[in-house]
Formats: sequence, C-alpha cells, structure tokens
Amino acid sequence: MNSNKKLLGAIVQNLLLVIYAIFALFPLIWMVILTFKPDTQMYTTTFIFDPTLDNYKEVLFNSDYISYMIDSLIVSGGAVIVSVVAGVPAAYALARYNFPKKEDIAFQILSFKFAPEILVVLPLFMIFQKLRIYDTHFGLIWVYQLISMPLLIWVVRGYFEDISVEIEHAAQVDGYTWYQIFFKMLIPLIKPGLVSAALLAFIFAWNSFTFPLILAGTNVQPITVAITKFLGTDSAHYGQLAVAATVSALPAIIFALCIQKHLVRGLSFGAVKG
Amino acid sequence: MSRIQLENVTKKFGKVTALDGVTLDIKDKEFFVLFGPAGAGKTTILNCIAGIQIPEEGVVKFDGEVVNLVDAAHRDTAMVFENYALYPQMTVYDNMASPLRSNLYKKDEEYIKNKIQEIAEMMKMDYLLQRLPSQLSNGQKQRVAMGRALVRSPRVYLMDEPLAHLDAKLRNAMRTELKEIQANFGTTSIYVTHDFMEAMSLGDRIAIVNEGHIVQIGTGDEIYYMPCNEFVAQLMGDPEINIIGGTLAKSAKGYTFTMNAGGKAYELPADADLFAKFDEVGLEKVEMGMRPQHLKYSFEPKEGYLKCSVYSYESIGNKSVIVAEMGELQLRMIAPNGLTVKIDQDVYVDMKLEHAMFFNADTKEYVTRYNEAEIKSFAIRED
Repeated sequence: MNSNKKLLGAIVQNLLLVIYAIFALFPLIWMVILTFKPDTQMYTTTFIFDPTLDNYKEVLFNSDYISYMIDSLIVSGGAVIVSVVAGVPAAYALARYNFPKKEDIAFQILSFKFAPEILVVLPLFMIFQKLRIYDTHFGLIWVYQLISMPLLIWVVRGYFEDISVEIEHAAQVDGYTWYQIFFKMLIPLIKPGLVSAALLAFIFAWNSFTFPLILAGTNVQPITVAITKFLGTDSAHYGQLAVAATVSALPAIIFALCIQKHLVRGLSFGAVKG
Repeated sequence: MSRIQLENVTKKFGKVTALDGVTLDIKDKEFFVLFGPAGAGKTTILNCIAGIQIPEEGVVKFDGEVVNLVDAAHRDTAMVFENYALYPQMTVYDNMASPLRSNLYKKDEEYIKNKIQEIAEMMKMDYLLQRLPSQLSNGQKQRVAMGRALVRSPRVYLMDEPLAHLDAKLRNAMRTELKEIQANFGTTSIYVTHDFMEAMSLGDRIAIVNEGHIVQIGTGDEIYYMPCNEFVAQLMGDPEINIIGGTLAKSAKGYTFTMNAGGKAYELPADADLFAKFDEVGLEKVEMGMRPQHLKYSFEPKEGYLKCSVYSYESIGNKSVIVAEMGELQLRMIAPNGLTVKIDQDVYVDMKLEHAMFFNADTKEYVTRYNEAEIKSFAIRED
C-alpha cells in the first residue's frame, strides 16, 4: 500500500517534470526544426517535411556570418577579460580596505545596471562620435563594461568577504609577498565566483542588442545585430534566421560546458572557525 | 631566539583604542603569557609583534632593533591564529609545508617531508595529513594550525589561544607537550589565553591585560598571591576569590576587621609587617580578599562562626563549591564531593585570616597581605 503510493508519487512527479521539460525546450526544438525546413514548406508543414541543409549552406558559406561571429567573440570576450582584470582588484579593494565613501562607490558601480540601455544610448552615441570610437571593437568592449563589470565586482566582492582576513595574515607570516598571497591563496578561493560571474557577464555581453545596434554598424557587427539582416523588407528567410540563431547560441553553451567543473562552491567552507 | 620589547605601543581602530601605552619586555627564551578577559587587546598585541598591524605610537623591538617598518613576512615569526586561518584549498600537509615553501624560508622537499612527519607525530595527527581543512574537526584544525607554526624555527612563536578548542584530555597533554617543546627549542614564545590554569602552568611570566593596558606583570605565583588589584585577584583562581568589605580599627593587641555585612568583628592575627603596613597607610575602609580554599564551614553552629545560608552547591569534578549567602555578601568555598546540601539550609562559615590579603576599598588596589615577605621570596624570580 505504502510502497504503491510512493511509486505513484514518483510517476506523477516524473510526468510533471517531463511535461515541464517539453514546455521549456519546445521553442528550442522548434528553432532547430526550422533550420532544416526549406522556405517553401516553412508555413505548410509542422513535423513532416523534406529536410534540407540549404539554410546552413546559405548562412555559413554564402554570407558574412563567420565574421559576425568573430566580431561577437572579440567584443564579448574582450569585455569579460577587461572586467576580470579591472574588476577583481576593485572587488578586493571594496572587500578589504576601508576608505571614505566606500559603500557609495560600490553602490554607484551597481547603479550602472539600473538604467535601461536605451535610456543612455543616445548620449553615449554622441560621446562615441566625438571620441571617434564609434563602430570599433574598442568602443563596444568599453561600453559593455556597463553590463559585465558591476556583476563581476559584486559577485567577487562577496567571495573576498567570505575569506577570513586571517588567512592573508597567516600567509604573510609564512613569508609570502602580497602578490603571491593574492595569486596562490586568494584566487583559488574566489575561483567558483569568478568563473560563474565571468560566464554570466559573457552571456549578457553576447546577448546585448541595443548597444551594438546603435554604437556600431558597419565595421563591427556582433551576431545579435547581424541576425536582423536575414529579415529583409520584402522576404523573411525564417530558415536562415533559425540557423543564425541556433549557431549563435553555441559559444555560450560551449563556454559553460568547459568551465562547468569550476562552478563548484564550498571550497572555502571549514577552514576557519565557524 | 629573541628578546621582544614593546615600548609605549598604542593601537587605535578608528575611534576605538585597542592598546594604550603597552610596554613589555619579553626576555630571550622566555615563555610569556598574555592573560586577560575577552576584548582586552591580547590578540592586538600579538598582531603588532607579528607585523600584521602597525601601531600608531610606540616601537616594537626584536633584540633591540626597531622593527616597526619591517613587514610581517620579514619579521621571522610563526603565529597560531585563534580561528586557525588554514588555507582551505590545501591539504593538511600542504598547509604545514606552506611556510617552508615561501621564498623567504625555503627548504628542500626532503627536509619538509621529514619535518612535517616529525611534527605531525608529535601532535598525534600524522593520519590527517592528506585531508582538507573542511574534513577536520575544530580540535584537529587547531592542531594543524599549531603544526604549521612549529615546522619553522622562528625568532618568536606567537600563539593565540592555541588550545582553546581541544578537548580537556588533549588540552592537558598538549599543555605539557608545549612546555617541553618550548624548553627544547628554546624559542621565545608569547602565548595568549583566557584560561588561568594554562596561564599559571605554562608561563614563565604572565602579563595581565585589561582594556588595552598591562595591569600587572609577574610570575604566576606572584600574580596569584600578590595581585596588584581586585580585578587581577578575581581573574586568577577558580572559584573566584571572595572580596569582603569591612573596616579596620586599631585595637589593644593590633587591628580588628569589622565586616560590613553582618557587622562581625575579627581580631586579626598578629603579623608585625602587616600591622606596620597598616600603620603606614592608615586606611580604614578596606576589602579583604579570601581564596575559597581558606574558608571553613560547618553545618552545625560553632563558636565564632558566621551564620549564612546555602545559595548554591555545585560539583566541579574532584571537589565542590558551596556558595553561602549572608545578606548581600556571597562567599565561595571549597567542599568535598558527595555532601547532601539543601539550598537555603544554614551553614556556618569561618575564615583562615592568616591567608588574607587586603585591598584599598576605594581604589581597589592591593595594600598588603599576610606573610608578604615569605611569598615574595619564592614568587618573585630574579634572573
């Protein structure tokens, strides 16, 4: 009786999970199906159609798709690298040192994320024109700091605060210099936070649309902006659009899979008196 | 292997003064204990010696050389932190090896291996070497923290309550071990504790720290028998010393002490030095300090005994403590185990006055005590 009940519970539970999984994944499945449909069958078929690779051929070989991808990789990757190089020391300073207006500065950094991008993009456009960094990789990497830096600083700061300051003192007494302590003792401890924050920052930068739309255009075309080209004024190549979207989702997924093993928390627990 | 001196060291954290004009002179090879209540500034003293914190005023000297501007890495100290401060990403072995792998104190791996094995066996933790700190109990972590300090031969060991989290049996064993290690290595050691047993048994000399000041420095016996004020007297000893307020008056034979509570007058036993001191200071209001073991009690009425009632009776292992109450005054005394004592029953108390010490009732400072000369002769070591 009791075990029957348990079994029934397990079945219902799994059934619900399966339904939810289908519900959540269906848009993606639909997108992948579209990539194999010829334009002629786009509206007339659902699951049964004549699969074709024409869309892939068209997008990957007969357009500038690869160069858009490279642009995206450069600006998103560059933005994350700059954020890490500048953000980790900033996070350390905010966590460890006491200086006037510390909390105000931390809040100001966070506040960069408050305003909608569309609100600030016009003044930025003027500034970019003046500075002659409109439509350059540098310009986009710079403006992407608004997206990636606050996130990274706030996450990593929390990790630094979790590390007891006595660990640094102990390492000093052991005879290590500040740089050795930072790289040997602290970086391994903040790694889970750093990696997850960097991943999120990369995804946000990769998905950014407003900034590259307005602040770049011809020389630099990240994938989010370039995809719109597949929607012409006279014709909409949904198959090609689907291919472009599917392929552009891959780098973030690959990146996430690569660093998955670093996304473990709990290393720093238990080293100091709880 | 260093003489450590602090001269007039003042350390402030914002508006809070953690240390206020601390002056210490710790001799070479000495085992020096800093003892005081929580928040007294003991750890800050250690941090100033280690170079983790830089005092705003005053100088820290190692062997007569001012080290204020030498950073922590170059001071050649080894420190045991109160919260262990183990490196969580490293195994116990790597934690202990860490000081021997830094550029400053580098040793070859063969030496490190032997040294760690030796220390780990001594600390009875060689089976823990491959574990991570998160897999250790607090007592084990504390031993690792000790081990990490002991692998080196620094100028001074700084230990911040290194035994606080060990179980009682291990603590006693480690206490003996520590004393022996220090005697063998001959390294100057500064040891912070708030356990008076540890302070008494380990320290060549003890400094009592309170609210950022050094209250008294002396051998354990000196501080126990001749505390410089009531605060120190209450800190040293468990159960706590009894402080009995009263009035001194000159009498035909010498002096009488009249208790404030109950008004009973005691004829003080003759002691020429004591009376001479009383004559000299001419005090009236005094407080008498009586250690609990110097009180006698009886459950039957006795001639000359004070009538009190039992406030509490608790066993502390090999003996028990009776707290007797008379009006406002509470008296603690030592009793054997296994008595049938009822709360609020009558108890009759007498004092062995020949062990009394006297404090100024206004300033709470030590005035004098019985057998002062004799106690001085064995408690104060001149070397």
